[in-house]
Amino acid sequence: MLYRLRHSTTYDYAQPVVMSTHFMHLLPRERPGQRVREADLEISPRPETRRNESDYFGNPTTTVSLTTPHQRFSVSLSATVEVAPKPPPPPEATLGWETLAAIAIQDPQVAEFCLSSPLAQPSDEINAYVGPSFSPGRFVLEGLIDLNRRIWDDFAYRPGVTSVVTTATQALQARAGVCQDFAHLMIAALRTLGLPARYISGYLRTLPPAGEVRRRGADQSHAWVSAWLGPEFGWVDLDPTNNLLVGEEHVTLAWGRDFQDISPLRGVILGGGRHTLRVGVDLDPILT
Amino acid sequence: MYVAAASDEMIDRSGRLRTAWVPVMEAAYTIGPDELARRAVSLNRQMHLAAPFGASTAREYDPLPAPLTAMEFAVLEVALAQRARLLNAALEDLYGPQTLLRDGTLPPSLVFSSPHFIRSLHTVQKLAVPRMTFYAADLIRGPHGGFQLLRDHTGIIPGLGHALSLRRLTAGTVPEIFRAGGLRSLRPARDMLTDHLHREAQGGLVAVLSARAASPAEAQDMTDDALLARALGVLLIEPGDLAARNGALHMKTLSGLLRVATLIRGLSGIELDPLEQGGRPDAGVPGAFGAVRAGLLALLNMPGSGLLEGPAFAPYLESLFAPLLGETPLLERAAAETAPSHAPFVNGAALESRPMMFRLFAWHDGQGWQVLPGGLGFGISSQAAPLGNAGVKDLWVLEAEEPHFIAGAAPAEPPARPTFLAAANLPSRVADNLFWLGRSVERLEAAARLLMLALPRLESGTSLPRDAAERRLISRCLAQAGLLPADLSGGAVSGRLLRSALVRRKPVAGLLKEVSRLVNAASERLSPSMLATVRFALNQASEALPDEENALPSILSFAATFAGIAAENMLRDGGWLFLEMGRRLERGETLAEGLSLLLDGPPERLEPGLGLGIELADSVLSYDLRHAGILAPAPVLAMLLADAGNPRSLAYQCAVLCNCLKRLGADDDAEATRQLQHRAVELAGAATELRPALAAIAADLRLLSDHVQRRFFTLLPEAHQLEDQETLEAAQ
Repeated sequence: MLYRLRHSTTYDYAQPVVMSTHFMHLLPRERPGQRVREADLEISPRPETRRNESDYFGNPTTTVSLTTPHQRFSVSLSATVEVAPKPPPPPEATLGWETLAAIAIQDPQVAEFCLSSPLAQPSDEINAYVGPSFSPGRFVLEGLIDLNRRIWDDFAYRPGVTSVVTTATQALQARAGVCQDFAHLMIAALRTLGLPARYISGYLRTLPPAGEVRRRGADQSHAWVSAWLGPEFGWVDLDPTNNLLVGEEHVTLAWGRDFQDISPLRGVILGGGRHTLRVGVDLDPILT
Repeated sequence: MYVAAASDEMIDRSGRLRTAWVPVMEAAYTIGPDELARRAVSLNRQMHLAAPFGASTAREYDPLPAPLTAMEFAVLEVALAQRARLLNAALEDLYGPQTLLRDGTLPPSLVFSSPHFIRSLHTVQKLAVPRMTFYAADLIRGPHGGFQLLRDHTGIIPGLGHALSLRRLTAGTVPEIFRAGGLRSLRPARDMLTDHLHREAQGGLVAVLSARAASPAEAQDMTDDALLARALGVLLIEPGDLAARNGALHMKTLSGLLRVATLIRGLSGIELDPLEQGGRPDAGVPGAFGAVRAGLLALLNMPGSGLLEGPAFAPYLESLFAPLLGETPLLERAAAETAPSHAPFVNGAALESRPMMFRLFAWHDGQGWQVLPGGLGFGISSQAAPLGNAGVKDLWVLEAEEPHFIAGAAPAEPPARPTFLAAANLPSRVADNLFWLGRSVERLEAAARLLMLALPRLESGTSLPRDAAERRLISRCLAQAGLLPADLSGGAVSGRLLRSALVRRKPVAGLLKEVSRLVNAASERLSPSMLATVRFALNQASEALPDEENALPSILSFAATFAGIAAENMLRDGGWLFLEMGRRLERGETLAEGLSLLLDGPPERLEPGLGLGIELADSVLSYDLRHAGILAPAPVLAMLLADAGNPRSLAYQCAVLCNCLKRLGADDDAEATRQLQHRAVELAGAATELRPALAAIAADLRLLSDHVQRRFFTLLPEAHQLEDQETLEAAQ
């Protein structure tokens, strides 16, 4: 599937910002099953300096500094991305979850996704929650699909009850949140078992395929989970906000241990006072 | 009587004094136990008074050094250099190709679970600067005489500032022990280090990065940072002094931004770059990591180098020697049960035998590792006990019999060092602090002077009209200076009322506290001996305080000490100029305001005011000598307003201000003060309508003060983090 992606972010400040520096994760990355044909980040006002780098996880980053006073700052991503993910293996072909955990912690490419990170830390409550999905010896993908569905069942999708710094345990207590919280909870749950899980930021197609329900989290930045199935099958993505195994409807922007590793737009500004923020996202299939 | 331990640095197994200790102990015996105890107290007081930012440490400094023989040091030198090579190689690997994880030498979770593994500084290409430039090792000497490792310091290097400074400070207190000579000087090593740092910086600034003076908790050891900056002759700066522009870091100075090339890091790397790591922007340096990755900034050591200090790493480090260096470790790790050797520490008039830990320091000079021929000895209670208050001493390395040549990078061309003394290069924050320090000392002095004059007069006045008029004038001056509540200034106030106001409001204590705060904030610009003198005088004034009246002489004595130090001990560089401007502006303003109150009336009724004016300006003697004590408006005004030779006249303050501003290149402000001086001189010739003219001059001086602040201490709006609220707000 070929997509046209547009993501614009605009900050309006009450007072002029004298100077600012921004660090952004706003260009889509490559990954197996995803090719970025073209991507462009338009920034206004024009920054004095702009540096493109690749972060620790291989995500593209952009650092800009602005030294002319401004009252509006906007960043627009436009990209063409091709998505053709490999279908997941049959669950019964995957390893037992205990075996997988033992392999994962020894694998330098995977091990750090088994360990806790600031927003996705294992806790007793999370441990109690995850138990029923992973009975001893269960095939890992079976357990993943079950956990994905349970989170979707048990938690209310409710914007405004959580923030960007809400931890998995707090989200579990609230039994509600947005895509970021669903993802953090599932990641922390897998990590209590020693299973590797990544936080993925990205986008969901705006209009669902014909005959499907409209998804939660379209029209905005979305987040979901990537879980490791072992050396043979690699990573598989699950979307607990929509109870989906990720296929052709999602476009990946970046991945990390949790949201903090790949916050889309960080900044340190001088001046500005209060600000308002507008975000627009469109992900539309290009018909070929 | 010194009771030696079974394993003792000073006494060998057969009970004899070891040769290395002979010169030290001979000196100690010559000094005598009681005198040595006094010297120890004096050394500690010196260190305490000289500590920057008023940071009081729990450390106790011991005047007796611990000598190492040339042979012992030679062994340690090789072992430390080997260990430093190993640790740096491990860091380069873990922050680069991670071969050690891929081949299973180290378990991945060891690295990935540590908060000190800073992912933002993992790079595909090696950085231009090694991950580790400084290294320190904590060692003990075991029962069989060999040195064993307690721990490595690979991140922030604690104590390097002390190691480079303690000897100089000890030499002042116990000069006798240095007479025998025969120990290796630290100076060549230190000079090589500074040359290396400046050469690498290629003309950019080199500085020590420490915490904000207001929050000492954030830096590991601000005293050590300040000592290090002084020893290396570089600036001590805090995050707020820095700004990122065009991808590089700059220091905010009076004349604009100066590029910073190298920062010796006294701050933790975990929250160093708020731009990439989050956190409060003013607690860190936004953009620092980007500058590091772009090769525009060297952070010594690189953030994240503390990774290897974690106790979880300790069991694995020995196994890295073979794969990384192809060598076997020269230094073994101390077993938990190894008892450290003991050394003598001064404890009152006795010498006490305490277990001792050695800390040695090394740095990479671009070619190889150099080990400082010195270091620190720490009294500890046992191997595992926390360090600190059981005594810190200088480590000596004795000269070998044969002359010793220092190997290392040949000091080819002395590298260009940017000059920091130019006023323009002064950090804005430092200038700001010195300016206010000058003002607050002057304010304190003026208050003390006024109270000294007021108390006896208000007490003993008769009911004669002249005395009553004088008391009214004094009351108005007291209210103007904030020493009396404004509602009491209407009539004449009694001495009892003034005393009770002082007891209730404690205005002098408040002024003294502000002076004390600013002395701490500006301490990096005062030399240790100046600082010690100023603090000593300040302490005396504070101790006299609760009784504000009796403290006044000590306060005047403090003010005189401070003025003397500023006049005689400070370079006339940027820092001094701001201190001086602060003092002159305050003195000029106080004088103009005071005289406008005292000289408010027709010429025939000016006499009481003229007399008080002369007294407040401390000019009684000069006036009496010149005019035989006969008070008349013209000569008094000439002396207080126009006399360019009287350091307390208004014209004098304006002339000095004008001069300072010219040197700072502020020609328009200099011209404004020249005109003020002219007005003061003219005013001395007129004996009427003095009050409005003087009040106008005071107002103009206040305007000038505002202008100087705006001009030099660029008041930038505060930086804040732009929270990433997108997920939230978008979803609403």
